[in-house]
Amino acid sequence: MVRRALTAALAAGLASCQKTERKIFSGSSPVAVLRAKSYQIDLTNTILEGIRLCGLDVKGKTVLLKPNLVEFDASTAINTDVALVAAALEAFRSLGAASVTIAEGPGHRRDTLGVADEAGYWKGVRNFEGQFVDLNRDDVTPVSNFVNEKQFFLPNTALGADLIVSMPKMKTHHWAAATLSMKNLFGLVPGSVYGWPKNTLHYIGIDNSIVALNRQFRKTFAIVDGIVGMEGNGPIQGQAKNVGLLVFGQDLVAVDSTCCRIMGIDPAKVAYLQQAADLGAIAPGQIQQRGENPHAVRNDFQLISEFAAYRLSPEGAKA
Amino acid sequence: MVQDYLRPRLEVLRNNQNPDGGWAYFPGKRSWLEPTAYALLALHREAESEAWQRGWRLLRSWQRPDGAWQANGQVTDPHWSTALAVTLHCSQQVYDDSFQRAVAWLLACSGAESSLLVRMMTMVGLSKLGNDPSYRGWPWRPDTTAWIEPTAHTLVALKRAAPQVRDAELARRVVLGEGMILRRRCSDGGWNYGARAALGIDLPSYPETTALALLGLQGSREADLSGAVRHATQLWQNSRSRWSRAWLAISLRLFGADLPNEPTDQPVTNDLILNALEVLAVSDGGFRHFRPEGMPS
Repeated sequence: MVRRALTAALAAGLASCQKTERKIFSGSSPVAVLRAKSYQIDLTNTILEGIRLCGLDVKGKTVLLKPNLVEFDASTAINTDVALVAAALEAFRSLGAASVTIAEGPGHRRDTLGVADEAGYWKGVRNFEGQFVDLNRDDVTPVSNFVNEKQFFLPNTALGADLIVSMPKMKTHHWAAATLSMKNLFGLVPGSVYGWPKNTLHYIGIDNSIVALNRQFRKTFAIVDGIVGMEGNGPIQGQAKNVGLLVFGQDLVAVDSTCCRIMGIDPAKVAYLQQAADLGAIAPGQIQQRGENPHAVRNDFQLISEFAAYRLSPEGAKA
Repeated sequence: MVQDYLRPRLEVLRNNQNPDGGWAYFPGKRSWLEPTAYALLALHREAESEAWQRGWRLLRSWQRPDGAWQANGQVTDPHWSTALAVTLHCSQQVYDDSFQRAVAWLLACSGAESSLLVRMMTMVGLSKLGNDPSYRGWPWRPDTTAWIEPTAHTLVALKRAAPQVRDAELARRVVLGEGMILRRRCSDGGWNYGARAALGIDLPSYPETTALALLGLQGSREADLSGAVRHATQLWQNSRSRWSRAWLAISLRLFGADLPNEPTDQPVTNDLILNALEVLAVSDGGFRHFRPEGMPS
């Protein structure tokens, strides 16, 4: 842990030496919070409503749906529910997307299709194998100056997409406090180059890596699976938590900040959000909340002791 | 019967060899070292053919000046799959300078947690890795931590290479690498990618990494592996994943298990490594590419 901290600090130092002064994001971004009490409701229509509220146009675009597939444990809620992914597939197709692909590169398991099978994806998505890309074993192209890496390889399917739809599970995370739409982009990093786990990201620093990936991929949209999330010792060993919400937006910083407020986490204390302050909106005044008011649907997630101080004040979601 | 199972898989491999001689992870994509190495092992009975030799020449061309192999023609950093290249050289009985340089590179490589600085920090209690860094394994890529899969493949490669290498470091690294695997065993009896616990809470093992850990531990003198083999057998019985079942079958056969082959009507997939592994996993012997020489059947 000391090594990790030292390495992350070194990487952050290098990054700060390299980077030019970045201005705080000054625009405002729409984020929609919609109720969805279960996976059995008409999720396609809910997704269409979320897309409409956020003003997203997908006509003619190549769309990559990026769920969060990690590993499977029937006793908890680790992965993005397949019903939501199937509904998103239908919604984006109905809106005239040129193509819609599901793609993921799990960080722990080599057997991506096996994890997808355990998580119900083969049953829940017709012809799943035909529309899925294992990003861990896709062809790759280097990008330059990824934090302190001169060359960093990313999968061609992700680099070539017109729109990446980050579809995380709403979860706590034992290193980053929360894992939401921005951290979900870790699954774009190819295991064929960086291994299982993608340990290079840990050496770069988790927060640095989250932000670097989000600087790289700017054509994004988020659909956060908060119907059932995970609290406590996430992202794998926590407990399922019924929240009954879906959160949408094109500005992933604003989406994650809103999710944090819903989860009772202060976004001002989440390091990766603060590092991404130039990329999107964090302050409530800069987020055009549509649908439900995050304060009204706040549902505090249990936090491990390491993050107890991250708890949002009772009035925080309003601020 | 076995032939009915093998034929379509071998056909898929033959039909999806790229013009450069290599294999991709999936048809129509670029060649990478890892699927090329597995395909060449799966097709090793055709090693005299021009097609096989083209693959072999491509693989050989990807060795770096420092002895390591790169992941493909584009990703040129030293890569863990150097271990697969060494294993393939052993199957080909090619023990030339390329082979010796690759072994030397593997012997010089270890997880970043085994650096002098981290070991000293561990000794004085400044680092709480949870793993003893003196047990040196191998990383996916240099300057990162050692994990189960690259360590297991490197142990197979080094054990196969041992009769051809005059370097006392090899025996020492094998013992340390086995020690690393044994000390990262999960409480349920198997292995995952290489972390027994997170924040003090036990993590579960996975079938495929349990199989690979056992491959790396073949011939280990430090531990009685019978419990781990029993655990792997249960995983094989209960696993639906073809990837996991293939690795478990390869591993369990090397530990003497008499497993039935998979049903002949199981469809082939477009995952070229899985096709190769399913060829190597059948009872007619391909799995022996992962057996260190001199070990009993």
